[in-house]
Amino acid sequence: MINEIRNAVLAIVNKNNYGYITPADFNLYAEQAQLSIFEDYFQSYNNQISRENARTLGTGYANLRQITEEVIDTFSMVQSLSQYAASTFSIPPDCYLMINVLANGKTAEKVSLNRINQLLASNLTAPSVIYPAYVVSGGLQGTTPPPQVLVQRITMYPTSIISGVTLQYIRYPRLPKWTWLNVGVNGDPVFNSSAADYIDFELPETDSPLLISKILQYAGISIREADVYKLGATDDTAEYQKDRS
Amino acid sequence: MGYISQYEYYDNNGNSPNSANWGSYQYVSLEDIVNNFMLMYQGNHELINNINRYQILFFAKRAIQELNYDALKEVKVLEYPIGSDLKLFLPSDYVNWVRISAEVNGVLFSLSENFQVNFATAYLQGQNGQLLYDQNGNVLSPQYSELDLGRINNTAPSLYTNPLSPYNGQYGWCIDDVWYFRWGIGGAFGANTETANVNPTFSIDKQSGVINFSSNMSGLLCVIEYISDGMENGNDGAVKVNKLFEDYIYAAIRYSILNNRFGVQEYIINRARKDRRALLMNAKIRLSNIHPGRLLMAMRGRDKWIK
Repeated sequence: MINEIRNAVLAIVNKNNYGYITPADFNLYAEQAQLSIFEDYFQSYNNQISRENARTLGTGYANLRQITEEVIDTFSMVQSLSQYAASTFSIPPDCYLMINVLANGKTAEKVSLNRINQLLASNLTAPSVIYPAYVVSGGLQGTTPPPQVLVQRITMYPTSIISGVTLQYIRYPRLPKWTWLNVGVNGDPVFNSSAADYIDFELPETDSPLLISKILQYAGISIREADVYKLGATDDTAEYQKDRS
Repeated sequence: MGYISQYEYYDNNGNSPNSANWGSYQYVSLEDIVNNFMLMYQGNHELINNINRYQILFFAKRAIQELNYDALKEVKVLEYPIGSDLKLFLPSDYVNWVRISAEVNGVLFSLSENFQVNFATAYLQGQNGQLLYDQNGNVLSPQYSELDLGRINNTAPSLYTNPLSPYNGQYGWCIDDVWYFRWGIGGAFGANTETANVNPTFSIDKQSGVINFSSNMSGLLCVIEYISDGMENGNDGAVKVNKLFEDYIYAAIRYSILNNRFGVQEYIINRARKDRRALLMNAKIRLSNIHPGRLLMAMRGRDKWIK
């Protein structure tokens, strides 16, 4: 899919000799475009639920919520969490949204930091092995230098939970990478899908037009061509409106 | 929790104790209630959404507590020998008593509550009547007050009841099974009917968490029937409720949440309240277990000759 999209983008840009997009630049734009569309899925999902409650969304082929849900579900992961210290565990770096935290098979509940002390002091609802809870906190990993990295961690309650913690989460899409082998006869790099670092887009094929629009926007800004940017932006807005009408 | 096999039910899969699951089918666990509520009554398309599980847990437990106080007949029984201090410590999960009995020769005699105070906390005083304090500024107390001593040592008079005796209804002292009275013969007018009973009496000191008995309870076995709040000493895994009340618990949680939420229309709250009330009444009727077999047993006594 990534090669088709690159070809389409280059075809549009080159038609009027606007310029050339190098593989490295294309990969950067592709990464941003994919992330942007990925985040829009969650916004769309929320809108579709509102529409469903307002009875303006149908079932069967008209069930847009299900379509969105299925796309998001393809990014779901399950992973055992590694212990950082005592009852604190590290969150995988590719985690976008935590769905469920399971402590020895029991679903743990996320509690805000400003509530946890009250919950721990509660006689009826204090976290237990059957009803565990967790709070999310940040932390710095690594030593300086090199610079430390900000990471997410969770602390389980009751603090006797020191193992058996599993996370079901939605991961970020992997960064797409268009890889090439050598320069062709007309000076263009030739696509190589066998490269070790090759990564295709992870969004469905139906997002191709949107990906092209978004990449064109970034490319338009890069090559200082307002027309290219406008073309991408108009397309993007039209898609957005369609999603919400 | 899913259904269990008959082997697990009758023999606990061969584990000890094998009676662990007996009668369990009539109950639904708190864990199931919370899980079912989260699944069925909470969500994007339900009346309730974006609710924390601990809120559901709280309201579920409150509903179970209220049921235990009010409607359930889950009476717990504890036996305890009463020593010379004439005290029974209230059970750790005690909320209120149903009946307190004394066991004598294998027969349980119901005891009546003595509303006359026969226990107290006393303060130690100096020669001039001033209170005495410890180094922390707390007033000193003796181990027993005079009221306690009177009850424990049997120096306080007790009511003598024997219709065949001329001393019937008089206050006296029973020492070594012999009764002593202040005067020879005469009526004790205005007998206290609350304590006019040959059995020991008791009074409950809620602050101290003990039941104080009259002196003739010493050495007897006390059997206390009491109700708890169903919280099983904080063991969430053991909290359960009869299936006849399951729907009521859901309705009670639903009402409590809707009633406390901002912006919920009054008609929705009213609907939830009516739902809860109707289900509670339904469940009470179900639990009262009125059926022809029971009525028949009661009706059989109608032809009995009373001499």
